[in-house]
Amino acid sequence: MDEFKVIEIKKSIFEGNDRKAEELREDLKKRGVFLMNLMSSPGSGKTTTVMRTIEALKDDFRIGVMEADIDSDVDAKTVSTSGAKVIQLHTGGMCHLDATMTEQGLTSLGTEDLDFVVLENIGNLICTADFDTGSAMNTMILSVPEGDDKPLKYPNMFAMVDVLIINKMDAAEFFDFDLEAVKERVFKLNPDIKVFPVSAKTGEGISEWTMYLKNEVKNWKEI
Amino acid sequence: MHELGIVMNIAGTVLDVMKEQNLTTVQKIVLQVGELSSVIPSYLHECYPAAVDGTELADTVLEIEVIPGNARCKECGEVYNLLKQKRICPSCGVDNWDLVSGKEFNLKEIAAC
Repeated sequence: MDEFKVIEIKKSIFEGNDRKAEELREDLKKRGVFLMNLMSSPGSGKTTTVMRTIEALKDDFRIGVMEADIDSDVDAKTVSTSGAKVIQLHTGGMCHLDATMTEQGLTSLGTEDLDFVVLENIGNLICTADFDTGSAMNTMILSVPEGDDKPLKYPNMFAMVDVLIINKMDAAEFFDFDLEAVKERVFKLNPDIKVFPVSAKTGEGISEWTMYLKNEVKNWKEI
Repeated sequence: MHELGIVMNIAGTVLDVMKEQNLTTVQKIVLQVGELSSVIPSYLHECYPAAVDGTELADTVLEIEVIPGNARCKECGEVYNLLKQKRICPSCGVDNWDLVSGKEFNLKEIAAC
């Protein structure tokens, strides 16, 4: 039997996913599909925010939603009432989506007739930050009851997203939530981040967010 | 728990290398995992057998080197371990640093023939 020799490889394991994500992003760009990866803790109001967003943009774009969940179709059922095209991605025990799973999801959703797709990632602020899904925009929702110190606890997530939506602003006074303190902490981690304080329940702040998003989708499709 | 998906990726990469370099048997796979990466070495070890079951890698040994999460203080230049010191520089007491190491997650080498 031959002797074993040591072969140096020195390859980042995330590299495979990064490459796959880049390919997917290019492909979506060519086809004029804007993919938004939406991340948050469980219970931050992701689905309600998605509903509001669809309502505001449904006359401008053809919208699709991929609901990633460990095991249920509660959210997908809710979102399907908005008129958007919806599929449920069951991830089993997985706590994040990677580029390959996202691509499989897009294939089963069918993107030929879509301009804008929301990927509702799994409710988790830790490893979803490490895996590029191939999206054009990474957005996270922080909700007021989670506290204004969350950027200190999960710095990776706040450092990698393009947009931060601060939801449940209607409850700010009950939770001692300091919006300025959050902004200061977030800008220290990520100077280019866009911050939108909203209440998906009352609709406050939603038009600022959706106007920004509308422009981003248009730019993606045109340039 | 995301280690299983990750380990499947690693196995895929190793199988590619085997093909590229015409290797027939892999005896050992060595990974480098940073203390600050979102991967837990003991979980990798646990799900490794399931990931390689039935593949050419079924009998390989998985070895993991842990890389410390170190930072260099921007004030005084001291290099220290972020986790042990709770991010605060032990020499000047300031929490202002550049990361030196600890986010790695690499396939370092394999022993094969």
